[in-house]
Formats: sequence, C-alpha cells, structure tokens
Amino acid sequence: MRLRERLDGRRVLLTGVTGFVGEALLHRILRDLPGTTVVALVRRKGSQTGRDRVAQLLRKPIFSDIVNDDVDDVLDSRVEVIEGDLADIPPLPADLDVAVHCAGDVSFDPPIDEAFATNVLGTRRLLERLGESGSDAHYIHVSTAYVAGRRRGAIPERSCEHDVDWRAEAEWGRRMRARAEEQSRTPGRLARVRRQAERQHGRAGFITAAADAERRRREWVNEQLVKAGGERARSLGWTDVYTFTKALGERVVEELGAGRPVSIVRPSIIESALETPHPGWIEGFKMAEPLILAFGRGELPEFPAAPDSVVDVVPVDHVVGALVAVLAGRPEPGEPRYFHVTSGGRNPLTFHRLYEIIAHYFDRYPFDMGERGAVRLPAWRFPGGEAVERLLVASERAHKAADYLVTHVPRSERIRRIARDVDRQQRRLEFLRRYVDLYREYAQAELQFVDDATIGLHRALEPDDREVFGFDTAVVDWEHYLGEVHAPAVTEPLRSLDVVRRRRNAAAAKRSSNGLPEATDVVAAFDMDGTLLSSNVIETYLWTRLPELEGHARLAEVGRLLRRLPGYIQAERRDRGGFLRAVYRRYAGADLAELDRLVDETLAPHVLERVSAAALRRVRQHRSAGHRTILITGAIRPLTRPLAPLFDDIVAADLAVDRDGRCTGFLAAPPLVGESRAAWLRHLAESSGFDLGRSYAYADSHSDLPMLEVVGKPVAVSPDVHLWRRARRSQWEIVDWSSPGAVSRLDLPSAGVAEVMPR
Amino acid sequence: MSRPGFVLQVDDRTPPLVVHEGEGFRLERFPIGTRVVYPPESLPAVRDVDATIRHALLNPEGSEPLSELLRPGMRLTIAFDDISLPLPPMRKPDIRQRVIEQVLTMAAAAGVDDVALISANAVHRRLTPDELRAIVGERVFRSFFPQGLLYNHDAEDPDDLLHVGVTDRNEDVEINRRAAESDLLVYVNVNLVAMDGGHKSVPVGLASYKSLRPHHNSKTMVQSRSFMDPEKSHLHHSAIRMGRLLADHLRIFTIETTLNNDVFPAPYEFLNKREWEWSIRDQASMLAARRALGVAPRKVKRRVFHSLESPYGVTGVHAGETEAVHAKTLANVHRQQMVEVQGQTDVLVMGLPYLGPYNVNSVMNPILATCMGLGYYFNSYRGCPLVRQGGAVILYHPVPNEFSQLHHPSYVDFFEEVLAETTDPVAIEEKFEQSYATDPWYIHLYRTSYAYHGVHPFYMWYWAAHALDHVGDVVWVGADRHTVQRMGFRAASTLSDALEMVSGTVGRSPSLTYLHNPPHLIADVH
Repeated sequence: MRLRERLDGRRVLLTGVTGFVGEALLHRILRDLPGTTVVALVRRKGSQTGRDRVAQLLRKPIFSDIVNDDVDDVLDSRVEVIEGDLADIPPLPADLDVAVHCAGDVSFDPPIDEAFATNVLGTRRLLERLGESGSDAHYIHVSTAYVAGRRRGAIPERSCEHDVDWRAEAEWGRRMRARAEEQSRTPGRLARVRRQAERQHGRAGFITAAADAERRRREWVNEQLVKAGGERARSLGWTDVYTFTKALGERVVEELGAGRPVSIVRPSIIESALETPHPGWIEGFKMAEPLILAFGRGELPEFPAAPDSVVDVVPVDHVVGALVAVLAGRPEPGEPRYFHVTSGGRNPLTFHRLYEIIAHYFDRYPFDMGERGAVRLPAWRFPGGEAVERLLVASERAHKAADYLVTHVPRSERIRRIARDVDRQQRRLEFLRRYVDLYREYAQAELQFVDDATIGLHRALEPDDREVFGFDTAVVDWEHYLGEVHAPAVTEPLRSLDVVRRRRNAAAAKRSSNGLPEATDVVAAFDMDGTLLSSNVIETYLWTRLPELEGHARLAEVGRLLRRLPGYIQAERRDRGGFLRAVYRRYAGADLAELDRLVDETLAPHVLERVSAAALRRVRQHRSAGHRTILITGAIRPLTRPLAPLFDDIVAADLAVDRDGRCTGFLAAPPLVGESRAAWLRHLAESSGFDLGRSYAYADSHSDLPMLEVVGKPVAVSPDVHLWRRARRSQWEIVDWSSPGAVSRLDLPSAGVAEVMPR
Repeated sequence: MSRPGFVLQVDDRTPPLVVHEGEGFRLERFPIGTRVVYPPESLPAVRDVDATIRHALLNPEGSEPLSELLRPGMRLTIAFDDISLPLPPMRKPDIRQRVIEQVLTMAAAAGVDDVALISANAVHRRLTPDELRAIVGERVFRSFFPQGLLYNHDAEDPDDLLHVGVTDRNEDVEINRRAAESDLLVYVNVNLVAMDGGHKSVPVGLASYKSLRPHHNSKTMVQSRSFMDPEKSHLHHSAIRMGRLLADHLRIFTIETTLNNDVFPAPYEFLNKREWEWSIRDQASMLAARRALGVAPRKVKRRVFHSLESPYGVTGVHAGETEAVHAKTLANVHRQQMVEVQGQTDVLVMGLPYLGPYNVNSVMNPILATCMGLGYYFNSYRGCPLVRQGGAVILYHPVPNEFSQLHHPSYVDFFEEVLAETTDPVAIEEKFEQSYATDPWYIHLYRTSYAYHGVHPFYMWYWAAHALDHVGDVVWVGADRHTVQRMGFRAASTLSDALEMVSGTVGRSPSLTYLHNPPHLIADVH
C-alpha cells in the first residue's frame, strides 16, 4: 500500500511547525498526503495568534501551490490550530492518530533551566496531555543522533544507556536560576558590576551607568546558567546541555509513553533540502551555515577539527521522508522503536572533504567585497584543537591590549580607524570563540551511527513512494549536494545583502546634508568644546589667563597646571562635573565683567579662528530651517559670547561672584553635564512643545551619550572611541568637523588690554 | 638710473627664471621662444619725503593749499587706505603715517579740534588695533585710538551711513556719515596699482553695500577691460559718477602717493632683479632661501613671508582736487610699471605670490588665489589682454583647501555651497549674492570680529569674470587637484604637463608669454 493510502483519514498532531523540520513536514503532508489532516500546536507570539502564525507560514513561497491564495480554506479544511505553549498545553482532542513532537530548543548553549523546560518538561507535559485526551495516538519523538553524547564508535538504534534521574536533574536545573539570581544580587557581585559600569559610563551619569550595571547583572546570570548547563552535561558524559536534555527527553518518552506506540527519530545535522520542496531550501541558519559564511568571508583562519572525523549531515527532505514513513507505521505499545536518520554509517563525509568542497565552491564563486575584489580564502592545515586554542588565546590577549590602547589614547581620525579594525577583530574573535567552543566536540567526534532500522524502513516502501519520500542517505553525492545545492542556497541571502549594501553606500555618499526639513518644533542641541571647536576647558583657561602674564610667570602657571594634569585627567574619566569644578576653582578672584571684556576683545578672534566651518554651516542650516538652536556646554559663559548670535539658547557654566563682581571659584549652579543635559532637553521639550523625536543633538564625547540618546537624530562629531562605537552600533550619523589646519593649538591670544586676575 | 621694462625672448642661454608660487618660488626653465615681460627697474625715490609732502599740501592741484582750508571749529575727517595696500606692507614709517602727521600738524596749527580718522575699508575686514597702529604710527594711534577717534568704517552701521543721492545712472551713493557730514574730508591713499585711487577712494572705500552694488557686479566687471585701465573700466566710470556727485556735496581734499618697485627686502633682493644679473651673493641667498623653504613647515614659511616689509621708495605725492591729482598719480604709476608688449599670446603664464590684498596676515585661500591670478594679474594690461581671446592661462600656486575661519568665514561657505553648484559669475550673482550679503551672522562677524563681509567672496569671483569670459582654458601648476576642480579649473604637476593639457585649446606649438610679476607691471599690449 502506498503511504498516502495508509495515512488517509489520519489526524496528526504536530508541534514545532514554525521550525525548520516542522515546516518541511507540514509542507510534505499538505502536498503529498491529501487525506491526512494536521492539528498544529502553536505558541502565541506577541499580538499574533497561533492561527495568524500558521497563516503567515502558509503564505511562504513553498506553500503557494498548495494554498492557491486561499489560506483560510486550507486552515479550515486541513490544518486545525491549537494555541498553546509547551509549558502550558491546552487539552488535546481525543481523535488524534499520531503525534509528532518536533518542537524543542535547538540552540546548543541555552541556560540550563530553559533547556530543561523545553526539552524535558515540555515533552512530559505533551505526553501527559496526550494521556488525558484518551487517545491512543502513536507518539513520534524527534530527537538527535547526538544523544549518544561523548561515546565513541558504533551507536546502535536503541535506548541510550545511562542512569541519570531526569526528574532530579530537571529540578536542580530549575533551581539554578533562582540561585544565580540570588548570587547576582549579593553586595559583592553588585558592587563589581556597578564598578565596571561606572568605569565605562560614569562620565555619562549614574542612571546610564545603572542601566548598564543591570544589563551586566542579567548577562552574568545568563552566563552562569549557560555555564551550569554545559558543565552538568559534560560531567555526565554529554557534549553540551542540548544533547544532555534531549537524551533525558528520550527517557521521559520511554517512561511516560510506555503504554502507547512510540517511535524516536534521531536525525544528525539537518541541512538544506536535496530536492523537496526545492533543492537548497533552508529556513534560517542552522549549524554549519555560520561557519560556511565565515569561511567564505575569509574570517575563519583555522578550525579545531580532526580532518578525518565524520561530519554527519542529512538533507531535511530525507528527515521528513523518514518521519512520514515512521508516521505510517505503528509499533507495539511498550516497545519503542528507534531510527537514526544519518549519513555517516554508509556515506561518510570527512571534515577534510567538507573543507575541500566548500573551499572549491568559494574558489569558483567568491564573495565580492566591492572595490576590493574577491576575498582571500584561508588555507586550513588542521593543526589540531590545541594549536587552534593557543592561537585563539593569543589573539584574544592581543585584542584586549589593543582595545585598552584605543580607548585610552587621545582621539583622532586615525585612532577611530584603528578602533574599527580592533572592533572587527573582536567580532571575529568572539565568533571564533563561540563556535570553537560549541563545535569542538562535534568536529572531533568519532561516532558512527548505525542506521539499519531506518534503511529497513526505506526498503519497505513501495517503489513509487521511494521516489517521493526516499531517505536513503547513501544516494547523496556530497560534492553535488554541498557544492551545488547547499552552499549556493546558504550564501544567496548574503550576496543579495552585499548588493543592497553597496547600493545604499553609493546612495549615502551622494546624499547631501543641507536638506534639513523645515520645522518650528525641532531643536538642535550642540556641545561646544570638541564639537564646534577644538578646545577644552584647560586650554580655554590658559587663553584667559596667560595673555596677561609675563615670561616666567607664564611658565610657572603652565607648570602648575601640568603638575595638576594627571589628577584632572583622572577626574575627567571619573566624573565630568567634578572635573569642571576642579578646573574652575582656578578662576577664583577673576573679575567677571573684565572676563567678558577680555573675551570680546582678545579671545573672540581666537575662538572664531578655531571654530570648524562645517560646524557653523550646520548650525546655520538648522536656523534657516526654523529649528531652535541650543548651545549646551560645560564651558564658562563668557567663552560662549563669540558664538552667541547663532544660538537661541545658551546653557553654560556660570561662575559665582562675590559682591565686588569677583569670581569665587565656585559655580553658581551645578554644571550641566551628562544626564542633566538629557533631562534639560526633555524638560524644554515638554514645557515648550518640541518634538525630540525629530530633533538633533551634536556631541563629541561619551559623556554626552544621554543627550544624544534623548533625541531622534543624534550626530557624533569627531567622537571618542566609546561614543564612536555606540554611534556605529545604532547607525548614528558620524561627522568629522576639524578646526582649520592653519591655526596652531599652541598659539596663544596676544596680550589683552584687560587685566582679569589679581596678581 | 633705472632701466625700463622689457620683453625677454627665451633662448638657450637664458637661465631658469623665478616663478612665484604661494609661500615659495620655483626656478622654471621656459621653452625657447617664450616671451618674458619684466617690469621696469625701481624708479629713484624722492630724497626728502616730508618736504615733498609739505610741498604737495601747500601747492595742491586745482585747490587752495590745505592750510587755507582749515579753520577753527570745523569738522575734519581723515580717511585712509586700509591694510590691503601696499603689498607687501611698507617698512615703517608708512607713507600714510607721514602724510597724516603733517595734515594733523597743520590742523592743530589752524585750531581744528574735531578730527576723526577712519580706515576706508568698505566691506573689507576691520583692522586690528595693531594694524591701525602700523599705518598711522604710534603717535597718532595713541592720541586718537583710545578716544575712539581712530576707527574702522562700518558699512553695516545704519547710524553711521548717509545716503547722499543718486547719480544720473540711478546709482545709490551712500557713504560714511561722519565723512559725508564733515566740513573737509582728507583722503590719504597709497596708489600701488593703476586701479587704485582717484574717485575709487572715497565713493568705494567709505561706501555701504548698497552703494557698492552698482559697480561691484559681474556685468560691470566683464565690461571693465581692464579694471586696471580706468579709462576703459566700467567700474571706474561708475565710481567717477559717484565721486563727482559727492564732490558737489562735500569738500574732498585728496592726497595720493606713489611707490617704486622696491618690493623685496634683504636678503630677498634677488627677487627684484633679473636672473642672469644675480651676483654671487644673490645666488647664495637664493640657494639658502630655497633650501630653507624646502624643509620649513608650512606655518613657519607663512610666518616668514608675512613678516616681510617692503623698503619702498616714494616716487611722488600729489594733493588737491581728486581728478587733477589722480592724473598725475597715474602718470607716476605708469612710469614705474608700464611695459610695452607687441601682440597677444596663446598662453599666458603667471606665478602667484603668497600675498594678495585680502590675505594680509592671513591665508590666501583658493578664491583669493583665483582672484589674484584671473583678477588682478590677468587685468594688468592696457589696450587688449595679453592672452588672445580663447587662449589659455597657466597659473602657479599650490591652492591648498585652506581658509582662515576668522577672516574669511563666508569664503568657506561660498566654496562649499556656491561653487559646488555653479562657477558662472552671473548665475552666482543672481542666485546667491543677496542671501550672503544680508546674512545676519556674516554681518555680525564683519562688524564685531575681523571677518570680510559676507558679499566679499562674490566680488572676488566677479573680479575674475572678465578672464573667465575671455580665456578658453585655465590650468594650475602644482595645485591641489580637488580644490581647483571645485572652481572649475584643472591642475597639472609641471609646466610641460600644463602645456600638454591646454594643447587642445591652443595647439601643439602655442606662443608663450610669462608675466614676471611681482614686482608690479602693466603690459601695454599693441
């Protein structure tokens, strides 16, 4: 009898239809088994109901022949959707004939509690619900061949040998979350993350740092849980928490499914389709794709694989075919059957062969890196896991040193260029580290999966069914499958993305910046020092102080300042406000009115000479677009006088004066730095009806991050490395406004007529 | 005895010749047959400058002696040429200082006590106190500056401008109120080139933007052929109409001075001489200068060049009624600078020095360099242009993309915004001039800082309008490629490459003429 006849009139429960295998299976049932109906258990996602999600699925191109533009019809006639979560499964119908459980956590390193929740407890819940429904459905469990763990040699198609108590392990796994959360909240731990966060974000303000500290804490908890999972798995003989919980999941099936027909299907590494729905069909990135892509981009210099180890790959349509064949059978209750859907036993693909095929593919079809030509491919020599590890560790150290350097030296265009390389290197290293750690076991595995039961099932098929549903992996020609089906399918999205990116870059290069939209409810906030002109508060202090001093007095003042400089730099890194206060103490005794006059007569040309022309142009463009221009600076107010006509509002540091108009060295109000700038802007927007979402802010330093984050169009101006990284991550505009090259930073204003400071 | 200017025909014995290029110079071997126009040698200076001045003031042209025009209780204003003259600045004492001191002495003797001194800078930048001091001298500065009686003309101060009337061509005449309402306006000029002086002094130097527009525009400048030849310059015709109108309203006593060609001080005197006549000492100085310039950083070179002061000799002082005075002055200028040249040329080669009228103590930005080459140097002719219609001009200057943000803020924007769109003077005038001229920020900078007026870069471009209209090709040797491209020109690295590039316009064997300037010269083309 043909499979379609054997399965005619059957109702099949499917979990995980939105996943890779589930989708392929659904497609196969709808297309090739016209008499079979599906009951899909689908989780709600945000505002999307389960039915919406299946409808969305059915609108994908592979289903187009089946649904014929009428998704609702298919949903009504062939697919019943039950909305539910593995953690919370609603009652199931009693008339189910088969249940296929494909849902699961497929990532290799989830936190331990999550891995147990889906792979072990979810399976238990499903079996319990199935029991409650009263149906005697055939339960098919999709597991993985790698439940064999770190064993070696031939792996038979039968129950895993181990005596781990899954209930106890699941309970301990669940408790780990509470423990990690608790530990993460101990004062010592919190102090540590807060210190780290403040070191990096302290200048921006406490709230920014606090947000970062909380993010770090959560990350730490997650890390602990991931670590706990991996360690527990290895301590019991599995490669990672994924195979560990999958193996325990099988035990759940064996125990709770004892009274019903049960089959356990164990595919190995599932990759793109060989033929159905179409050659190369793949959804999302699976196990090998990131590595193939990284290799093609020249970013995978070496891999800790044994050249002779077998990479056990199966095309997804073979897995689906095997599932359908299993679906049609019905083992005796209490005698679970096991099927390996694998290729290593009869058609082994070694790692070295895989490397050759992929390298050959990229030789013929390299990634095009635009004007830089084809990517240079690394040649792997398979030096062994330890050598690769040493290389990786050395690179990680070098990267750390380079990173310290670029974040601590004075900023410049060149440093940002170096930082870009450092960041790229970091991304590669993180990628390498992650995949080397994840795949080390698999790449060196010496497992050989026996697939006698599966091949028996294949041979028992009618010849016509063998054509449509065949799953004999021995027919796969690796060179054809990997080189002409899989690799092109995997690289296609990236190639089209490259084209898009090139087009976008070309468009961005042409885009001119003077097209600012006209609006009256938009503000443009500018920082001064470092953004509009290349100066800092110490320099400007010297400008005001030195012109009136003579020869050795000048030297002495510069010397005093130099002695203090390390302290100032420290303060600047810690807390911008404190730093400003420290420098402004030096203005004690200055006559404020005289200071104004000095700025007007002597310093104004000095300031104007150093203003970046591009910056002024931008300010003026904002003005002519009707925007409200605001200068927000930590500099003292007199120094903003030369630029005053360009701004509607000026927020600057006001020096406090005594009754004689002499500066006390204190400020009249706390300096507006970091978060207070953001708060000031927000308050202005609320009280005067400005739309911050369409507003602009320009700043150069990490300490201005809150101000930039509060507006919709932030611009990083000649940024320091911290800000530059943030800007790149969020795709903020980055501009380089340099002061005119003709003026030297060391030129001092010529002697003024004013006398500001008391001698 | 000074020799007249002459035209050298380059032959195989001609040594490499000096070509100025910004803050430096090169020695260029010109193709055989190239004509090189040399200015006349420096005329002998008058021996007793003070006596000459005194004589001019007491024996003026078409006017009573100055002493008779002065009376107690009168309002006297002395206006003087600003820092754009002479170039390079004159070694102290400046001739203006000497003249002003004598005028003030006579005024004091006559009991005049309402005196103000105004720098006639029109829409040029304000002069710094130091720059004012350099022109009028320490004594005058001290007596007038602190009281606010020595100051810069402000073309944007509505309270200090007076609309005097309109000419028969409907040109607005609006000048400095203090000057216009004075009983006597004394104008002290330095007539470096033929364009200066005469009625260009008061109606232009003390004017408002409104009063500059009738003649400072692209149409007038295309028709001023050349503006160095007042008789044929529409610019000057307009200024003369305005000057005559003013003369009806106001008593103007013009004092004009002329200088000789002693431009380069020691140890750079070799630059004043003809190359084949360099002494051993000259050659040593030349070598040393070249070596030093080769290694010096840009900022050092700039400082060295901008500290040069020329040891000019005074060749004449004339005073009295403007037009009568100016006729004599022009004759003096021509005597010093005129060189007779037979026939036009296919290719005109010019080397641009570090200094033009608008970058004293500043940077010669790309627009000023263009104005210097295609404006001032190109127009240094009488009769017809030295280069034929449709010919090519080859200029030497590095043209770095560098601007003084203090002095030339509107230039930067002109370069980035206006020239990016068009380089056609007429289109530029139509589309952009108004918005730049009335921009409040530029006006603020012009009035309170040391910035040229927002409209000034436009004038620079109009100055080049005649050349842009006349020549077919402009190539810059040794220039920044992107910068000259923005201005619509091309760059070459050597003279041979430049000649190769213009061969499409002028053919493979064009006639070449090199204008050996500075020192200043006027080519009288027949």
